[in-house]
Amino acid sequence: MIVVTTDHVPGREIADTIGFVRGNTVRAAHAGEDLSAYFKNMVGGEIEEYTKLLAESREQALDRMIAEARARGADGIVGLRFATCEIAGGCAEILAYGTAVRFTAR
Amino acid sequence: MTRGASEPTREELLAMAYADGELSGTEREEFERVLERRADLRELVARELRLDVLARASAGPEPMDLEWRAMDAEPLHRATLGVGLTLVLAGLALGAFGLLYFLWASALPRAVPIGVTAAMAGATVLGARALRARLRTQALDPYTEIRR
Repeated sequence: MIVVTTDHVPGREIADTIGFVRGNTVRAAHAGEDLSAYFKNMVGGEIEEYTKLLAESREQALDRMIAEARARGADGIVGLRFATCEIAGGCAEILAYGTAVRFTAR
Repeated sequence: MTRGASEPTREELLAMAYADGELSGTEREEFERVLERRADLRELVARELRLDVLARASAGPEPMDLEWRAMDAEPLHRATLGVGLTLVLAGLALGAFGLLYFLWASALPRAVPIGVTAAMAGATVLGARALRARLRTQALDPYTEIRR
């Protein structure tokens, strides 16, 4: 599965546009991580707990988008984008979306 | 040729086309007037739209989804949600009633400590339920080892 942020893949021709695919998730850190992050926030530097939380969410949203593209018979996703919003304090929502396509056979 | 019982009527076909956004401007307006009169067609359009939404989410269930479904079927899991929410809401209602009574009569009724205890018990039940669900699904969560 080729997943790119561009609208085209060099050397590959899009034979069929299957349509919009997306995957999203909302994840939260546990209370201990939130407490640790709170104190790190006071002294500065990277808050690893939240870096990890966002990375987990990003990968899960990506996997869900790819699973949907596979289920619809795609072999690539072009125009990948990420979007995020805050649905509740301490939660990370990530939406990954793009256009599922089928490439011509090589 | 006779029409079979399972064959859709003209209105039903129009309802499906309407849900798929396939009707032209005047056809759509005419059908919307029919929809105002026909509750059965409104239900059909709603059913078609629901199917469209389901068809868009075509990926299969994840292992964690199956575990959530199994838990939702367990009487204990369902009961703890009902019991927890009831205790919290009843506790808050008793507490609010007690505070209003306090403002009116300047005496704290027994409803306040009972309400606070009930709300705390409900919150504990809901917390324990969430923790149990997390412990059961954690092994099926493939993202816990990601660092950045």
